[in-house]
Amino acid sequence: MTGPVSILRHLAVFVGVITTWEVLALLGWIDTILLPRPVEIGEGIVKLYFEDRTIYRHFAITFYEAFAGFLIGGGLGLALAVGSALNDSFRRYVSPYAIVLNVTPGLALTPIVIAWFGFGYSSKIALGAIVCFFPVFVNTLIALTRTDSDTLEMFRSLGASRWQTFVKLQVPDSLPMVFAGFKISITTALVGAVVAEFSQGTAGIGVLMQRLSFALDMGSAIAALLSMSLLGLLLYYLIEILDDRIVFWRRGPRMEAVGRRRQAAWTAAPRTKKLTTSTLKPKGGG
Amino acid sequence: MSEADERALRGAVGPTSRRIMFNHLAILMSLLTAWEVGVRTGTLDALFFPLPTDILAGFWRLYVVQGNVWSHLGLTMMEVSIGFLAGSALGIGLAVVVGLVEPLRRYMKPYVIITEATPRIAIGPVIIAAFGFGWTSKVAIVMLVCFFAPFVNTLNGMVNVDDDELDMMRSMRASKLQIFRKLMIPDAMPEIMGGLRLAMASALGGALVAEFIAANAGMGVLINQYTGVLNMASAFVCVLTLTAIGFFILRFMEAVDRWLVFWGDRARTEAVSRRRASAWARREEGRT
Repeated sequence: MTGPVSILRHLAVFVGVITTWEVLALLGWIDTILLPRPVEIGEGIVKLYFEDRTIYRHFAITFYEAFAGFLIGGGLGLALAVGSALNDSFRRYVSPYAIVLNVTPGLALTPIVIAWFGFGYSSKIALGAIVCFFPVFVNTLIALTRTDSDTLEMFRSLGASRWQTFVKLQVPDSLPMVFAGFKISITTALVGAVVAEFSQGTAGIGVLMQRLSFALDMGSAIAALLSMSLLGLLLYYLIEILDDRIVFWRRGPRMEAVGRRRQAAWTAAPRTKKLTTSTLKPKGGG
Repeated sequence: MSEADERALRGAVGPTSRRIMFNHLAILMSLLTAWEVGVRTGTLDALFFPLPTDILAGFWRLYVVQGNVWSHLGLTMMEVSIGFLAGSALGIGLAVVVGLVEPLRRYMKPYVIITEATPRIAIGPVIIAAFGFGWTSKVAIVMLVCFFAPFVNTLNGMVNVDDDELDMMRSMRASKLQIFRKLMIPDAMPEIMGGLRLAMASALGGALVAEFIAANAGMGVLINQYTGVLNMASAFVCVLTLTAIGFFILRFMEAVDRWLVFWGDRARTEAVSRRRASAWARREEGRT
């Protein structure tokens, strides 16, 4: 599918689109304020990354804000969802507030959050946490409560305790969906951080981009926007990698690798165990 | 949020009984009372937690005495509805075109992934620089925010048509138009609705953010002004208004979903098929 020929074709299409865009802009058919020429964007990238070199700091700050917001909001969502899944009345009395928080456009809270937490990093982290709470909460809760009833029956018939059912059945069963929630959340946290930066801020990619576009340096503004896409992809793949590591049973090769490793550990372990038990602690019955 | 989500949230407890409603109210009232007492005694900062009674008074002041919310609210809702309609129509339309033309679809994929990863609202400053500070730039931003979810979902729904069903349609010599109308569209309908719901949910946020960045009227401006002078009670009134609107929008989209995708719900399916059967029978009767 992704052989060299297909990559070449993609590249050809890309170059073709860029060239027509450039030509149309040079002819004046495209408003260069709305869509700057590709060459201008290229110049913007060079300027931001190699000449000024200020973008790295802004990049790191926004990354930190989004990630911290995700950790707080996602952690809270996870904790409340687990509590709600384990206890019916907890869920009954907590979920209305979660729903209210969900239907409120979280970004509407931006000025309030900034008034609360000031102009520094903490307000961006707080807004990120607010907007990324719900996807984790709802995905975890649904996943934990939607356990396969046959498997549940089997666990019960084998006399599994409530804790065992939770740890060995509900948690592994729910992990794929929980991670899907994380993936939504982390990009939402980025949106929250960036929007808070737009509103009031002294550093971060959002601030940088707003400055550039209000100075009508649109090439650099688009370059900053592309860096934001990069940031989004980076955060997304961070979760994707974790997903791949932890939920290993969803993909064939990973599943086999882990299975082989566990098997090796298993065949190595009982032998040593047998040795120690037979030599050190002979049982009376044997 | 779908019905299943809601069931999960509420728990498998069946319909809420009167006693549970009472408990809910009691919890809410005691929370609010604790809040009020806490602020009045000075344990809670009034800047963080404006008095609940102040918020209530704020509703009266903003909506009745001053009546200044209405024009801002109207403007924001206008931006949201125009932007949503135009953006989602564009998204669905473009997705249908792309979905029907195979090579276009193949070469679109990388671009769709990149635009997916970009926080859409982030384009705000660029659009405002291009369209100015008036309401047109807000409509443009809402359009952009509402474009992607319907576009991606429609494309997905159309591409993932069941091969067996497609074979059957072909073997019965269905025309391209028939395949499109009777197979692809109904098949993609639940996903399209999902996209529209996502778009609608983000439309309000998009308009507000656009107003935060630069505007002279709208709910975002109003919230910004009130928090700017630290009149938190009035800011809370505005946010709670938006909460109510968000709730209304959610319910509205759910109703539309149930109406359009009637086969997703068992009872609705039966009702519709019964109605169709009786209409059919009546027509047959008329013919004989």
